[in-house]
Amino acid sequence: MATTSEDAAGAAIHTDGLTKYYGKNRGIEALDLDVRAGEVFGFLGPNGAGKSTTIRTLLDEIRPTAGTATILGLDTHKEVVAIRRHLGYVPADLALYPSLTGRDTLTYFANLRGGVDWSYVAELAERLDSDLSRKVGDLSTGNRQKVGLIQAFMNRPALLIMDEPTSGLDPLVQREFQAMLREVTAEGRTVFLSSHSLSEVQRVADRVGIIRDGFLVTVETVTDLRAKAMRQVEFLLDSPADAAVFEAIPGVRNVQVRDNLVEMTFEGDMGALLKAATDRFGIEDIRTSEADLEEIFLTYYQSDEGK
Amino acid sequence: MTLANIFTNTLRDRWLSWTISAASLTLLLLFGMSVYRDIDLSIYAELPVAFRSLLGIGDEVDVGGLAVGYVFGSFGAVVVAVVALVMGSAAIAGEERNGTMGILLANPKSRTHVLLTKVAALALLCAATVVAMWAPVHPIAAILNVEIGGLHVEALALHLYVNALFYGILALAIGSATGNRDTAIGATAGILTLSFFAVGLLPLVPGLEDLRMAFPWHYFDGSEPVYNGIAWGHLLVLIGASAALLAAANFGLNRRDLRGQSVGTTMLDRIRGNPLLNRLIGQLAGSARVSSIWIKTASDYQTLLLITAAAMFLVMGVLLGPMYASLPEETLSAFDAFPEELLALFGGGSLSTPEGWYTLETFGLMAPLSVILVTAVMGAGALAGEESRRTMALLLSNPIPRSRIVLEKAATMVLFGTAVGAATFAGVTLGSVLGNLGMSVGNIAATATLQVLVGLVFGALALTLSAATGRSGVAVTGAAGIALVMHLLTSLADISDALSAVEWLSPFYYYLGSDPLVEGMNWGDAVALAVLALVLIGLSLALFQRRDIRQTG
Repeated sequence: MATTSEDAAGAAIHTDGLTKYYGKNRGIEALDLDVRAGEVFGFLGPNGAGKSTTIRTLLDEIRPTAGTATILGLDTHKEVVAIRRHLGYVPADLALYPSLTGRDTLTYFANLRGGVDWSYVAELAERLDSDLSRKVGDLSTGNRQKVGLIQAFMNRPALLIMDEPTSGLDPLVQREFQAMLREVTAEGRTVFLSSHSLSEVQRVADRVGIIRDGFLVTVETVTDLRAKAMRQVEFLLDSPADAAVFEAIPGVRNVQVRDNLVEMTFEGDMGALLKAATDRFGIEDIRTSEADLEEIFLTYYQSDEGK
Repeated sequence: MTLANIFTNTLRDRWLSWTISAASLTLLLLFGMSVYRDIDLSIYAELPVAFRSLLGIGDEVDVGGLAVGYVFGSFGAVVVAVVALVMGSAAIAGEERNGTMGILLANPKSRTHVLLTKVAALALLCAATVVAMWAPVHPIAAILNVEIGGLHVEALALHLYVNALFYGILALAIGSATGNRDTAIGATAGILTLSFFAVGLLPLVPGLEDLRMAFPWHYFDGSEPVYNGIAWGHLLVLIGASAALLAAANFGLNRRDLRGQSVGTTMLDRIRGNPLLNRLIGQLAGSARVSSIWIKTASDYQTLLLITAAAMFLVMGVLLGPMYASLPEETLSAFDAFPEELLALFGGGSLSTPEGWYTLETFGLMAPLSVILVTAVMGAGALAGEESRRTMALLLSNPIPRSRIVLEKAATMVLFGTAVGAATFAGVTLGSVLGNLGMSVGNIAATATLQVLVGLVFGALALTLSAATGRSGVAVTGAAGIALVMHLLTSLADISDALSAVEWLSPFYYYLGSDPLVEGMNWGDAVALAVLALVLIGLSLALFQRRDIRQTG
């Protein structure tokens, strides 16, 4: 597996102007993305943003309208079979063969893939508390998802691409899953994980790409996003608040006014904000909290079209 | 969700297959009438009554009666009944399999309500199709200058409608009671096929004529409605049976647990559930069902193959030998009087010889049909099926090229088509031995080989359509529709100069055109069919390679 070691320091996934249209409908537009080897990359966006389109294009399930992509340095279309040798995949809305048991399902894919260590499979099943002797069709959504996860992890792939992998999993299993992700990156392997759950990505990802309406809005490290020191600020004033006053202050976003109460997200020097506020109003109470990715996420969206 | 919603939703899902059926049957009628118009029919009147009933020809032979009786009375009735049974089986059991039944019943509607709405949609679509088939009959006859004034076309249409509805409701009842769509389709199709042939064949056997009344098909055309008008007694039998089935369906549906997407426990599962037996099986077979794509495909379709091959072996093969031997001498000699044009319609052959008998009964229609059934279902399901069940994404994430998926599935299809041919060969050979008919084993093998090849052409066509569109419905209906038209082209080419000029277009021309059961293998025909099938498989490779995989059904 020479390619992987060569690319270990470089990009696990690289896309160059990747564009996909379904007829006239935009899937993704000119996506330039670099996922580094050895990281967990969180791919965030609301429903219909283009997350699955990106992943399906990377997997060569669908073909780009324009642009190119490489995985582990290999072209996603021309060298797709070589790529799949080093790939673990959990598609969105996972479907398996209902008449096969979990073990049959894994055997089927193991035979197509080769190089599966069954003691590792047993370990994964144990950790995820998955009963492989039951037919997939008789399993609940979460238990079916576990079978999907095991098949993605079982051949210790250099790259794991997972589209909303935790859907249906209970919190305990989710925690185990996150531990498994950390072990993957500890071995220098890469994870590309799409999600609309920011709290999940926040816990596991090193970097986050945010996609919206087919456009990649930003790529930042989780640390950088947090270091933006964006805060949620709430003032209780002595008179009815005027949104315009606060909106005029640099660094203030998402102002919401309810009588004497005003809420906003703020990024910058807190002293400037306090001064601007006390110049016009008397302040009866202040409450601030660190904004989590949820709000940062909303901020990116709302700054775009003011929706 | 209101009644109208379930109703319109069901209509929307199903209208296409009905429309295709109605349109192709109308096309067949146009074909049939224009061909029959040009041939001398006086000889038909001299046929023994039993044969005419077997062939669906009434007492007063005329062009209109032949065309309407043949196209509607046999082909049309079977096609519409099959479409109805597919829809009936999907009504309840299909929703359960798709996992949509739970959400449907979460609405403030009772199970009985849902059932009745599904029946209403079935009845309406079926009625619309029959009306669409009936409407062009008179205009076509007028345009072609064919006299059909004396025929009870409307009576036939009504019989056809009630008959189709019966099979639809039968499938719906079995599906409602068991929640298993495949059981519903299989059992109903089995009853339909058995009943169709029983009603055709039983009158030929002295002493067993009246047994045909035990089969539902008798109440469709036993009274020859196209000549004699509506037989209310017969219709009431079918309507009464349908009502009883509906009541049984309602009872079954209301008292049992609904299935999720679960798949039920098969006999094999129970055996595997026993640890001792499981270890034994494991040692014998390993995990054979999933050891590769082609073996998994084979395991997916083993029931279809088993039933089809068994039917071809037993009924169409073994049984027909002794039956022919038991036909009285005067019956056999009467076959000599059969006009060749007439026999051509049923695959040709002269009934005065065992080869002719087997050509008419087995190889003419059922043999290629059985291979087409198995291979077209597999060809359509191969790619489009995995796509509509959304398993293709995961399959493709393995280190195998798309072409290997196509090739392994195509190889399984070839294997299964060959197995059906082998069962037919074994059955006919055994039938010939049991009936002491002295047919050439080599010629039977040659015919079975050509049977497999012609079937594979249409299986490969289904695969190509499946590769091109990713929709299994399009693939199955497309391949079946083209097969039907091609079969008719070949049948009618013998009696129509206009069509005989283009008969080389039809794959069936290379199947029985050289009369292989009498003359032996025609290697040129075999090569032509094999090349065509290979070209289509090659085309499917190229088409699947280029296309976006569909994410949803």
